[in-house]
Amino acid sequence: MAYEPRIVAFLCNWCSYMGADLAGTSRIQYPTNVRIIRVMCSGRVDPVFVIEAFENGADGVLVCGCHPGDCHYISGNLKAEKRIETTRKLVKLLGLGPERLRLEWVSTSEGGKFAEVVTDFTEQLRKMGQSPLKSENNPKVPKAPLNVQEVIKKAIAETNVRYCLECGKCSSSCPISRLNEAYSPRRTVEKFLIGLENKVLPTADLWTCLTCFTCTERCPSDVKFPYFVRACRRVASVDVKEELCAHRGIPMALARMMTNPKIKQDRMDWLPEGAEISEKGDLLYFVGCAPYLDVVFEDYNLGLIKTPQSVVKILNKVGIKPVILRNEKCCGHDLLWTGDLENFEKLAKINMADFKETGAKKIVAACPEGYRTFKEDYPKFLENFDFEVLHISELLSQLIDKGELKFDTKIARKVVYHDSCRLGRHMGVYEPPRKILASLPGTELVEMERNRQNALCCGVSSWLSCNKYSKGVQIDRLREAKATGADLLVTACNKCRIHWKCVTSEKLPVDPSEVTMEMRDLSVLVAEALKLM
Amino acid sequence: MEANQSVLVIGGGIAGMQASLDLASRGMKVYLVEKTPSIGGRMSQLDKTFPTMDCSMCILAPKMIECFRHPNITLLTYSEVQEVKGSAGNFRVKILKKPRFVDLEKCTGCGECAQHCPVEVPNEFDMGLGVRKAIYVPFPQAVPLKYTIDDENCIKCMLCQKMCKAGAIDYDQQPETIDLNVGAIVVATGFELFDARKRTEYGYGKYPNVLTSMEFERLLSASGPTGGHLLRLSDGKIPRRIAFIQCVGSRSLKGGVSYCSSACCVYATKEGILIREHNPECEVYIFYNDLKVFGKGFQEFVNRAKDEWGVKYVRALPGEVMEDPKTGELTIWYEDTTENVTKNMKADIVILCPALVPRTTDKELAGILGLELDEFGFMKSKDPLFAPVDTNLPGVYICGYCQGPKDIPESVAQASGAAARAAEIIVAAGKEAH
Repeated sequence: MAYEPRIVAFLCNWCSYMGADLAGTSRIQYPTNVRIIRVMCSGRVDPVFVIEAFENGADGVLVCGCHPGDCHYISGNLKAEKRIETTRKLVKLLGLGPERLRLEWVSTSEGGKFAEVVTDFTEQLRKMGQSPLKSENNPKVPKAPLNVQEVIKKAIAETNVRYCLECGKCSSSCPISRLNEAYSPRRTVEKFLIGLENKVLPTADLWTCLTCFTCTERCPSDVKFPYFVRACRRVASVDVKEELCAHRGIPMALARMMTNPKIKQDRMDWLPEGAEISEKGDLLYFVGCAPYLDVVFEDYNLGLIKTPQSVVKILNKVGIKPVILRNEKCCGHDLLWTGDLENFEKLAKINMADFKETGAKKIVAACPEGYRTFKEDYPKFLENFDFEVLHISELLSQLIDKGELKFDTKIARKVVYHDSCRLGRHMGVYEPPRKILASLPGTELVEMERNRQNALCCGVSSWLSCNKYSKGVQIDRLREAKATGADLLVTACNKCRIHWKCVTSEKLPVDPSEVTMEMRDLSVLVAEALKLM
Repeated sequence: MEANQSVLVIGGGIAGMQASLDLASRGMKVYLVEKTPSIGGRMSQLDKTFPTMDCSMCILAPKMIECFRHPNITLLTYSEVQEVKGSAGNFRVKILKKPRFVDLEKCTGCGECAQHCPVEVPNEFDMGLGVRKAIYVPFPQAVPLKYTIDDENCIKCMLCQKMCKAGAIDYDQQPETIDLNVGAIVVATGFELFDARKRTEYGYGKYPNVLTSMEFERLLSASGPTGGHLLRLSDGKIPRRIAFIQCVGSRSLKGGVSYCSSACCVYATKEGILIREHNPECEVYIFYNDLKVFGKGFQEFVNRAKDEWGVKYVRALPGEVMEDPKTGELTIWYEDTTENVTKNMKADIVILCPALVPRTTDKELAGILGLELDEFGFMKSKDPLFAPVDTNLPGVYICGYCQGPKDIPESVAQASGAAARAAEIIVAAGKEAH
């Protein structure tokens, strides 16, 4: 059967939609492959509209707006231009071909132009062939119905919830409970235990937990509240009033798309010139979402892509040519913690197969989330996941011990280290990063009031529940870092840096000088000390 | 075989002393072995006792003296059990008598030596809050009231030797091994404190105004580092609010021990009353999870603390304690579980009530004796219901905290029980011999 492209077109109400209308009333012929969605302004087209259109099997997405200068909202179309440019980079990374996303200016009088654009786009897509994401099984299609009671029963049994002493140590440790009176891990658990889960499931409570493990660390009864929350999120309502998922769920959509076996990403542009990597070998470096995050948060100028660049350069410097998967998939961390177990398991299986094919024995991750997911979660979900998993800080500190990594550049800075939840409380990796920082010549390492087991979370996890409370936590943490008198805040988690940059880019309730400070990724700082970056 | 009419008691705390006195008054010969230079144990460190509010030392000292004076009791202080062989009715025991470097016969306890000793080290008796010299008696009422040179810290300056009018200082003293033949053994090694540093969220060891209850007991005591004046050691400030946190390491399935230490709720209440007695303007808050006050007169004691003394109880275990580095003021974060609100409270001193745990050295002693320990390291009873003071070894009995969590009256009662069981062996063996 011949392939007929399907195009989703977002047309601005004032110019382009009228233009399309004119094409119709003027009896101008154009292909029927286009499905038009009217929006008030091209600036209304959120990247997630585009991403979800592709996820749902569109072969092309067309966005049309007023010509520059003609926008009925003054600058909506210019915003659209910037946004589509960024979104196109994501489409490229996904390996769909950036040409599948098109932005055109069509005015009310340009009925002919609209027809030409559609005709041309349709022809182009015909030549490009079907989108690899076109699939009978859309990963976002509602999951198989779950037995809510069974899921809750299992969650209670597996997370020691019945041992709760009702002492409130969790709530008084919870960074969110301290700011939000209505939220309490203790009371959440209590409601489930006495059969009032329906008072929790439709609310934002289960989505509020930062899964930072502070409560778990301190709970005398070893109640694993974050795991309880994770298990219950499978059956929690996503239909609550507050916006639960930040960035309209793009990160989850991207992760879901990677479960499609036909996807062939184009994600290796970041590889620095002269860097040496291999197809097969003992050590696999898992890059993670850095290439995507670098695009999504490009306005923040955090240099997120420098992390994998630094890691590869450091590894090369000590004579390691790491295996890097050119079509590396998402580790699934965010899906797992938002309750999408089905797609997480799909990703886990794909990743394990990909890892095994390279012959790797060791997996190194610079991202605490990936590290946690491979080391802690994969072995629980998969049989035969028998890799040695290392965080880059563990590997580097081993190399320092062996004398294979020596620093000659002086980094004369007062550095404060933030323990990200995943690396710290989740995995207990507290000392290797400190050891690395302490061994940098000229560097003075200081500690925040709350460090190691007691470190305060950066405020957001798994892109969930970004709200005034999480902002409050972020500001609190930055103030604590600043109060140490350090001039550089180092962490191993890029997401922590994104969240802090986000809060400091907004209007602050405190004097900006109390919270703004230079931040650096641990691997990047090491690469700088080796004069590699 | 000649029946042995003597009993070895290990541990010179209240339980060991009671067992010794019971046995001695029945005409049996008792060897009371104590690791430290003086008998007295934990009770000697307490300021007052609950629920009667007796001065602890005032009721303990007569018993200590009685042990010292009793013709049937031989005190072996600063000594440790090294080897035990044989079986019920005939144990052969080797005791290591550590050198005190002071002749017990000659020392008069005048204290001239300590006055001139230039070395100051943290005082174990005051839980490290005060200092003592390298030549010392642990506390003024020590029994025997004889000085001891702490070899680890002594700098061998010989000043004490010069000052001692009795000529008691003997640097050449050597460790001595004593061989004993006993018919039965009573073990009463007591407890130590769970290391509160392990609960990092409370900042013990990091914040100077976070204390353990045992430290606070010394702070309140008239013989303590402040002479009984209630003030903050960090800056001398008179505290306006003191908060207790219960269950630090107790009732914890993780990062502690799962049992209830059984004494903390009541002693915190006692210390709370003492604070109000010392300074009625100082508020007292006790953060608890469940008030486990099941002993005779204990609930009434708590009621009195609330009604007559204004001690306030908050049902919550705090999540975190943080310090303001400028003022030393502490912030306690807790969820008031009766009001369902997460709050914080400021306090000048925070007192942690750590779990009471078996002594780490019990493991070694159990190895020497051949005793079984339970999962927590307590000495294991032969039967928890019907033979609580018996062990897996006939002729060896246990009492006091080393057997399981309990308070003073229970320790004393159990000590008498263990003494009676030990006496049975001796009497039975005596009959057999005739």
